[in-house]
Amino acid sequence: MSTDFNIISEIHNNTLVMRTEGYINNVAGEKISEEFTKNFVSGINKVVMDLGKSKVVNSIGISYLIDIIEKLNEHNSKLIFTNLDPTIEKTFNIMGIFQFAQKADSVEAALK
Amino acid sequence: MIDTNVNLEIKLPKVPDIELVAIQGLEKMGRYFGISEDKIGEARVLVTEAIINGLEHGGDGNPYVQVEFTMTKDKLIILVTDYGKGFDPDKVPNPDIENKLVSTNKRGWGLKLLKSMSDDLIIESKPTGTKISIIKNLS
Repeated sequence: MSTDFNIISEIHNNTLVMRTEGYINNVAGEKISEEFTKNFVSGINKVVMDLGKSKVVNSIGISYLIDIIEKLNEHNSKLIFTNLDPTIEKTFNIMGIFQFAQKADSVEAALK
Repeated sequence: MIDTNVNLEIKLPKVPDIELVAIQGLEKMGRYFGISEDKIGEARVLVTEAIINGLEHGGDGNPYVQVEFTMTKDKLIILVTDYGKGFDPDKVPNPDIENKLVSTNKRGWGLKLLKSMSDDLIIESKPTGTKISIIKNLS
């Protein structure tokens, strides 16, 4: 199992799409946070976070995602998770993440 | 004919991402018994959270956790022992997403995940260390 983590961002109209690859731990959480801060520019009203290539997350990594949700709430913007592994989806459910973020089957579905 | 009971013991040092070593062992044991991916995934969360908790709260004088898995086709027992100063699990606040969103401290979810994903959880803690015992039904 690789410990390398990568993140790629792109902007579609008013939506920031972030695609992660690898284990989301504290270090990856910081990278996601930095990438979000760098790309969450004026006019963005939706962020899609595709976790399809991240099969393992830990609670410290998720705490960085909660921080992003807080920032988006402050700007009346929303976060949509896509391609969630069933275990990650269950983890998010336990934590109540979906009270403040959405999920979609694919990036394409989230962009609609 | 496969063994009915498989055991793995590892002593993990406090180095980044070392929990992934334990997860690899867990996944191989799970596939050996033909455990469903959903159950392996939930066990992965339990192992990850128990180990990072142990390493975070372990003592600097003995920065290791002892991890033991015992698996059958029906059940997984996970034991994670650290050698830190211990803690009182009854004093750990139950995190709530609404409060966490407005708090500067977004962390503190490990124990909630351990309780929610496991079928039984026992925490024995004293000033010389903590032992977390987790039972996860696999069938």
